[in-house]
Amino acid sequence: MAKKPADLLPGTLDMLILKAVSLKPLHGYGVLLRIAQISRDVLDVPQGSLYPALYRLEHQGLINAEWGESENKRRAKFYTLTPAGRKRLRDETASWNRLVSAIAHSLSATPDEV
Amino acid sequence: MADEMRAHLEMRVEDLVTAGTPRTEAERRARVEFGSIDGAKEGCRQARGVSFADALRQDFRYALRGLRRSPGFALLCVGIMAVGIGANTAVFSVVNAVLLKPLPYRDPRRIVTLSNVVKTRPALNALAKQVSVPDFQDWHDQSTVFDAMAYYGTRRVSVTVGTSAEYARLTRVTREFFRVFDVQPVAGRPFTADEEKLGAGAALISSAYARQHYVEPSRAPGQVLRVFDRPVTIVGVLPQAFDFPDGTAIWFPATTIADPSATQRTANNNRAIGRLKRDITLPEASAEMTSIARRLEQAYPQSNSGKGLALTPLLDDTVGDAGAMLYLLLGAVGLVLLIACANVATLLLAKATGRTHEMAIRAALGASRSRIVRQLLVEGFVLAIVAGAIGSVAAVWGTRALVAIAPTQVPRLAQAGVDGPVLTFTLLVCSVVSVLFALPPALQVSQVDANESLQAAAGRTVVGGRGRQLRDVFVVTEIALTVILLTGGGLLLRSLVALQHVSLGFRPEHVLAMEATPQSRQRAAAFFTGLLTDVTTLPGVVAAGAINAPPGNVDSTGTYWIDHLPKELNLGSAPPTVMSVVAPGTFMALGIPLQSGRDFREGDAAGAPRTAIINESLARQAFRNSDPLGHVIFCAFDSLEPMTIVGVVGDVRQYGPAREASPECYLPYLQHGFNNATLSIVVRTSGDPGLLADTMRQKAHERSPDVSVKATTMDVLVGEHFAAPRFRAVLVALFGAVALCLALAGIYGVMAYTVAQRSREIGLRMALGATAQNVLWMMLRQGGQIVAAGLLIGLVGAAGMTRLLTTFLFEIRPNDGITYASVVALLGVMSTLAIYFPARRSSKVEPLIALRAD
Repeated sequence: MAKKPADLLPGTLDMLILKAVSLKPLHGYGVLLRIAQISRDVLDVPQGSLYPALYRLEHQGLINAEWGESENKRRAKFYTLTPAGRKRLRDETASWNRLVSAIAHSLSATPDEV
Repeated sequence: MADEMRAHLEMRVEDLVTAGTPRTEAERRARVEFGSIDGAKEGCRQARGVSFADALRQDFRYALRGLRRSPGFALLCVGIMAVGIGANTAVFSVVNAVLLKPLPYRDPRRIVTLSNVVKTRPALNALAKQVSVPDFQDWHDQSTVFDAMAYYGTRRVSVTVGTSAEYARLTRVTREFFRVFDVQPVAGRPFTADEEKLGAGAALISSAYARQHYVEPSRAPGQVLRVFDRPVTIVGVLPQAFDFPDGTAIWFPATTIADPSATQRTANNNRAIGRLKRDITLPEASAEMTSIARRLEQAYPQSNSGKGLALTPLLDDTVGDAGAMLYLLLGAVGLVLLIACANVATLLLAKATGRTHEMAIRAALGASRSRIVRQLLVEGFVLAIVAGAIGSVAAVWGTRALVAIAPTQVPRLAQAGVDGPVLTFTLLVCSVVSVLFALPPALQVSQVDANESLQAAAGRTVVGGRGRQLRDVFVVTEIALTVILLTGGGLLLRSLVALQHVSLGFRPEHVLAMEATPQSRQRAAAFFTGLLTDVTTLPGVVAAGAINAPPGNVDSTGTYWIDHLPKELNLGSAPPTVMSVVAPGTFMALGIPLQSGRDFREGDAAGAPRTAIINESLARQAFRNSDPLGHVIFCAFDSLEPMTIVGVVGDVRQYGPAREASPECYLPYLQHGFNNATLSIVVRTSGDPGLLADTMRQKAHERSPDVSVKATTMDVLVGEHFAAPRFRAVLVALFGAVALCLALAGIYGVMAYTVAQRSREIGLRMALGATAQNVLWMMLRQGGQIVAAGLLIGLVGAAGMTRLLTTFLFEIRPNDGITYASVVALLGVMSTLAIYFPARRSSKVEPLIALRAD
């Protein structure tokens, strides 16, 4: 049974793109598929906002773009992570984990703990 | 971007098709999933930021709109900059034509002149660079660094074309002369070997001369001219641009004329020129030639000891000392441009301060500091370009005016014009000055704290302390630069006045000088004797004489010995003297006082005992306090015969008013047949000498129809000495005056602005009890401080800069107190006025109105 796709939280798309690209250089469509794959098809990236995000990250120097050839011999722009992007991904991951555990902890609080 | 998105869609479609969706349905779904492609593109563009080119285009649009919105302000800025840029363009067009344009010959950098150098004394004029034929032959035969080497001698001669005689420049050249310049005749042919033999009569002429006399060059070959009283056949015509040296019309093989001096190493009558081999540098060539000269010194100590050799690129030799003067003018006009920049910067700063609010809003809306600075720079650039365009158009006339008033000694002036290289220079200047005047205000205003400025009530401008400081710095700069320019101009003007007060040693007013050359050298003496008889009897003639070169136009120099010749003639160590050939009556006609002895008389003729008259300098140098009359003088001139000194005359400043008189020896024209073929008849008249010119010409032609004549007044000839000093003094003073106006406008503007800005403060002071007097004083003091600082810095700068003027000054030292005091007084008074008027307005502020103003 297909799981219902979840909406992305604001601000998380950049982080997901960085993660996807960190695993292997990808073209835009590849990023889309990779995010779907690593989120086990839970997260659905709106295709219209993918490219602005990619250009923004490129402009910030977090990813690099280079024209290359796709697996089925098609010209495509491949994105790779820059050292600055790697650092950003590390920072974002750490702070995301802190946030998630804090929220999880908060939500699991019981009246006894108050 | 579009490619990337198309690739994305296609990949999606393929995936869907693989998954079993029909292609059309897959394409539709891919599109729907993607959403708006244009939206995505726009998002990408925003994410990437606005491109540089787009932003620049936007900045230009803004700048033009801004200038249109305040036309008065724009006009003022453009006007000031147009004056600065236009003046620079005009001066540069002259510098370019005279100093920078390559000479119009093939590979002109390889052409060098070879000049004599007497190691013991500096060269007085171009005559000193002349070389002798035997020296030249040795240089030519022993050197290995030249492709071609030639000597030439040039003078104006009488040429008869058809029936009329006129002066034309004739140059005797040796075989390799045309190879030095790499020129070939455009019509006819070069000289053949036979035409270079003694007595042959072949000539090449210039294109200009061919057009003047034969309509077009192709008709000239075969035509016959009369030169030196013999027929000469034109064999070829040289190309349009070629008239070396000095606008030559006719070239002639030097070897066809018998030249008795061609065997003497002391007869330095020719200039030498050569084309260096392709891979030879000037220092390499100089080294070789110097060692050849040293060998000649050892081989011929009598004539050559102390004689050296200098190689000079032909361009440098042509330009001579015009270069220093032109660079001086370029420097002066550059200062004017700097002052204009400071002026416009002040204006822009005032305007920018008024725009603080606009800038704050733009900063608040996300414009980065660099973006704001860039926009203001673009505004400045647009201003400069508009000003540059107007200035360039004005410079077309400016250049013509410069050429018209420039001294005739400056070469290559005719080519001056606003052309490609000049416009490139102007564009470069525009770019540089736009940064100079736009950057400081831009940096200043972009520093504004958006928050603070927006919180301040609209309309009430934030006058930052720094804004005022910067304005003051600009005004101080303007004043300081103006001091430097005015001081320079003042020194040059005072030198000019001093020059004009120097006594030249003769009285040029009321003197007509008519140069005449009869066709036949043999009949020359008879012609001049007859003509002088005719002229003396003309009404209005007070005195008449004849001289080979009128004062100030030294034609010959030589060396002299008193009483007896040394056993070994060493021309290098013998004292030099100017040699002149004169007719009786010449000293009286020119107003040269006879100090002792007698003038020449008709008896001092060929066959009679040889006589000479010396000037005071030679008498002082050779005889100290004893009486020179009756002593014998020998001159290395045309012969070494002894001549008895019969008179002493006063000194004449032959090399212009700035140079001390030098020793001179005058010889009677009838005893020196070789040197009297061309004489200038000098006539002192009771009335306007110019009126006599026609009668004199007529008398000359009555005596001999084929004589060439050229008449001018002595005043005109003397005026040429003052042309260069006048040119530079007038121009630098003019630039100083422009600078003064700009600086005064700057002071006035800043004071007026300050008063307007501080009216609230002044109102408050007055409300609290300050009198109008107090306020006036306060403002005067503030303005006075700025002016005083400018004057002080300017004086220090002037003390340094005017040292560069030393070579142009005469009897005035660069630290001339009177000049400095006058400049300080002038600037002080004028700027006090420029401060006073706005300051007075401040004391008229009505406290209540000022305080309620906002």
